[in-house]
Amino acid sequence: MDEHAIGVLTNIALFSFVALSAYLLLLAGELSFGQQAFFGVGAYAAGIATAMLGLPLPLAVLIAMVCGAAAAVLVGLPTLRLRGLYFAMATLAAAEMLRILFELFRWQVEIDGEAVGPDGTQGFRGIRWIFERGVEPLHFLVIAWLLLGVVVVMLMLVERSKLGAAIRAIGEDPPLAGAVGVDVGRLKLGVAAAAGALAALGGALFAHHNTYIEPRNFDIMLGVHSLAYALIGGLGTALGPLLGVALDIGLLESTRIFEGYRMIVFGGLVAVLLVWRPRGLLDERVVHWLRTRFS
Amino acid sequence: MALLADFIQNTLDGLTAGASYALLALGFTLIFGVLRRANLSYGPAILFGAYCATWISASFQVGLLVLFVITVGGTVLAGAYVERLCFAPHRRGSAIAAMVASFALWMQFEELATLALPRHLYGFPALYEGGPLIFGPFFLRVESVVMLLTGIAICAALWAILYRSRFGTAVRAVIDDPAAAELSGINVPRVFIQVFALASAIGGLTGFLIVSSQEQVTPMLGMWSTLKGMLAMMLGGLGSLPGAVAGGLALGLLEAHSQWYLGPQVRDLLAYLLLFVLLALRAPWMSTRSAY
Repeated sequence: MDEHAIGVLTNIALFSFVALSAYLLLLAGELSFGQQAFFGVGAYAAGIATAMLGLPLPLAVLIAMVCGAAAAVLVGLPTLRLRGLYFAMATLAAAEMLRILFELFRWQVEIDGEAVGPDGTQGFRGIRWIFERGVEPLHFLVIAWLLLGVVVVMLMLVERSKLGAAIRAIGEDPPLAGAVGVDVGRLKLGVAAAAGALAALGGALFAHHNTYIEPRNFDIMLGVHSLAYALIGGLGTALGPLLGVALDIGLLESTRIFEGYRMIVFGGLVAVLLVWRPRGLLDERVVHWLRTRFS
Repeated sequence: MALLADFIQNTLDGLTAGASYALLALGFTLIFGVLRRANLSYGPAILFGAYCATWISASFQVGLLVLFVITVGGTVLAGAYVERLCFAPHRRGSAIAAMVASFALWMQFEELATLALPRHLYGFPALYEGGPLIFGPFFLRVESVVMLLTGIAICAALWAILYRSRFGTAVRAVIDDPAAAELSGINVPRVFIQVFALASAIGGLTGFLIVSSQEQVTPMLGMWSTLKGMLAMMLGGLGSLPGAVAGGLALGLLEAHSQWYLGPQVRDLLAYLLLFVLLALRAPWMSTRSAY
């Protein structure tokens, strides 16, 4: 495979994590403008763990996921009782606060005569774990897709279980879900924590793929893009958000047919698609039809 | 004395910025109140109008009045496109789909703007060429006075339209209960279009005042207008017109004072912190019905 294709496929995998994170919350009936913050928390946490503390990448990814889940719980506890745009704006406020805190965050240590660590708006350079270990781009691609595969399979198993039904129930009708014995508050917090961990996992891989991160990577554009990915791909299955990312990054950004016009094409496509299919390409009906057809 | 002078000067600056935030929030809240949906493309539509005017003024020798008409016209045109593609089809359907669709058009406007005028920054003819008014130790830019007076005039005009005309009665009926309004013979889709046009015209006017007093436009204007407008609208309580004005002025004052004492990053941090805390505590003026 050529370098360009590897780069595109890796990016699809990385952004699928944050799209899945938005998707999970959408299933539970919450619209978040702030999942980019947990992507950022994961990126910074994993970068600090490998480049500054000298920990191995797998451990760093785990730490990043714990940090992402913890941050999501901290944001979720006071806000998850809000509905609709109130919750969306609260998550946006939290995410923008975090982004500004990244801009103010300076903590560097000297490693081999070189200052390494977050340097405010200058970003965080030299997250080189995979290059120092000689991990080939192709290997990293396989690792990212394997992790994504594990996550998707887990999500699909959850969706087929009672837990998945409960999550969709609190998304559809919280009082009714409460009446049939679902602990709405706790389940929502759990979903938010899982979504935070997922976004952080994507962020941890993103930081190591790019070797350089800066606060601007984690602005609202990423958050709203991930929502759009989840929604155009479809809310019927965990494969939906992947389809959304693949459509944008794979089809439009990388083919260069629409060079310079990509966002005009993508924007129009999304708006028209949503008129026709307001819950995305792979919505519940399509997924149900496919399932009855092929099982 | 110096402290007091700083305080007064910051308050004046804050009120000026607050007037533009209040106007943006009014447009947002009008659309939100009637459609119960957030229009993320509100700021980008203003960007479109402002870029039309910038493009014309770079190519032809035209006066400020013409540029004003072009900015407002361009914004209303862009608003109509957003309404047709994002809000009319989802009138009874998904609010999330409508909002994400409006984000998709935001991307279109932004790319269109950078395709038409690729530099990061373009000059815009000045609203007023002379220097600021000076009262003792205080400076007050003429542009600021215009912004404040326009803000007051728009509020008065909106009040007259909404509370003293048949159209306004229809709009308030739709805000209260769309189903009941429809049953009593109000053409709800038409009210949607009219409100969108009205809100876009206010947006175009605000955009013109902002770019002509800053004497420059950048592609960031779209995101800036959407974020400031939504922030001011939320601070004052969703869908409330007096709340939008109060939220805009409060945001302007908070920013001016915190920027002076604590710097621009802390300024933005404090604005978001205030919104987050008010939402988390569910400030009484914010707790209206569930809404997207």
